[in-house]
Amino acid sequence: MIVAERKTIPELIEILKGQKKVLVLGCGTCVTVCLAGGEREVSIISSALRIASRLAGFSLQIEELTIERQCDNVFIEKAAEAIERNDAVLSLGCGAGVQAIAERYPAKPVYAGLNTAFLGILEERAVWTEKCVACGACVLHEYGGICPITRCAKHMLNGPCGGSREDRCEVLPDRPCAWQLIYQRLKGIGQLDRLKQIKPPKNWNASIHGGLRVIVREDHRI
Amino acid sequence: MTQDSKLAQAIEKGAFIVTAELLPHATAELTVIEKVFGVLKDGPIAVNVADNPHGPVLSSLVGSVALIRENIEPIYQLVTRDRNRIALQSDLLGAAYLGIRNVLCLSGYHQTLTTSFEAGNSFDIDSIQLIAAIKKMNEQGVLLDGNRIEGRFSMLIGAVANPYLAPLELNILRVTKKVAGGARFIQTQAVFDTERFQQWLEAAREEGITEKVAILAGVRPLESVGEAEKLRDTLTDLSIPEQVIERLKAAGDEKAQKKEGLAICREVIKKIRGMKGLRGIHILSGGKESVLPELMVATK
Repeated sequence: MIVAERKTIPELIEILKGQKKVLVLGCGTCVTVCLAGGEREVSIISSALRIASRLAGFSLQIEELTIERQCDNVFIEKAAEAIERNDAVLSLGCGAGVQAIAERYPAKPVYAGLNTAFLGILEERAVWTEKCVACGACVLHEYGGICPITRCAKHMLNGPCGGSREDRCEVLPDRPCAWQLIYQRLKGIGQLDRLKQIKPPKNWNASIHGGLRVIVREDHRI
Repeated sequence: MTQDSKLAQAIEKGAFIVTAELLPHATAELTVIEKVFGVLKDGPIAVNVADNPHGPVLSSLVGSVALIRENIEPIYQLVTRDRNRIALQSDLLGAAYLGIRNVLCLSGYHQTLTTSFEAGNSFDIDSIQLIAAIKKMNEQGVLLDGNRIEGRFSMLIGAVANPYLAPLELNILRVTKKVAGGARFIQTQAVFDTERFQQWLEAAREEGITEKVAILAGVRPLESVGEAEKLRDTLTDLSIPEQVIERLKAAGDEKAQKKEGLAICREVIKKIRGMKGLRGIHILSGGKESVLPELMVATK
């Protein structure tokens, strides 16, 4: 899922300075699960903003609403009236949600209330970790289901860097080296030979390096 | 392809090789780095020029050219952290044009470990892919995009190995790939624990690696307890045993610690120089090039 975290209240006050009526709009999918932008966070952030804006010398009038999905026009429709009657929207959706609302309402200021961080999973209670950079050309089958592009800080495709340790990554002391995990996993499933060939340079065109990515399914466009 | 660097010839002849390193400074003035040219001239067959190891300094390409002008043969270090394949190959062509004949391929410390920790990175290709790319440039005269290099291109390829990277099977697998990719010499991270180094060298020998490439063991004189502890705590590619730090502590004041650090380094050189399969010593002076003459003596 998409994992995000909340911007701080001082940051949001800075962003919303000069606004009067703001809709704080939550999203019921990924950001609800990662405790960043669901109904509960809409309520908490709205209360904090009411107090903080008063202290900052401008009292925000805030309306609260959470829709099922901000990245889908069908669900955005359910926020139409609330968006109309407010001066601006503070979206607690991911970056896709914020932009979907902004595209739908070109005359309405839409602000991001979250920092969208990564595609990841809940590792343990209230801890999320990144698992995928959406590079557009998945190589997980070659690495025992552990992604060297996402989980190795240097995106090494041919083995660990010289700073690898059995218990940690060179860059992040509290994280295991992805290459140690790949090695153990491939050894465990009897596929260590996969590591012996030199993997050629990756074609990054399918990733962010190739420019904006669009997927067209012609078979579903009829 | 036969290579024309002095280092390539020494490898070919089977001579015992000593290399050293130059850590460029953040300067645009030659006078700042030329102070160390004297000691670099006297002894090592070639001198590595580091590629922005801990933050931006004079480029390793320019540093290498500065050495050539002084008749010192450079080993041009190239990290994949800051340049994509376009810039890497372009710089390699430029390096060859300027007379550089040896290159050491590394991934480089992650930029978050440098002074420019807010920088973005490239990591378009990894060090093994860089090695293989240069081999292709050498042998086929072809770039990664398939375009041909006009005229001759020749570069002796070097790689780095960390003898202490565990487990040994993964370590050797990685070194084997570097050799298969086209590396002709390997410089290791600094050796302190000579027993573990010997185990690694033995494993490399069993895999036939020492037959195919010249392995040069890195050695590093530690200046003080403070430096040793800082290196131990910040750089995971360095393995500095507790006994080494204890020895430095027991030495006394800073001057005595520096002397002890040099003594430890000399002892390491003496212990390892005769090891079967070892082809030379790479003196990692860590920016303190003045210690070189004293350590050169121990290599003989």
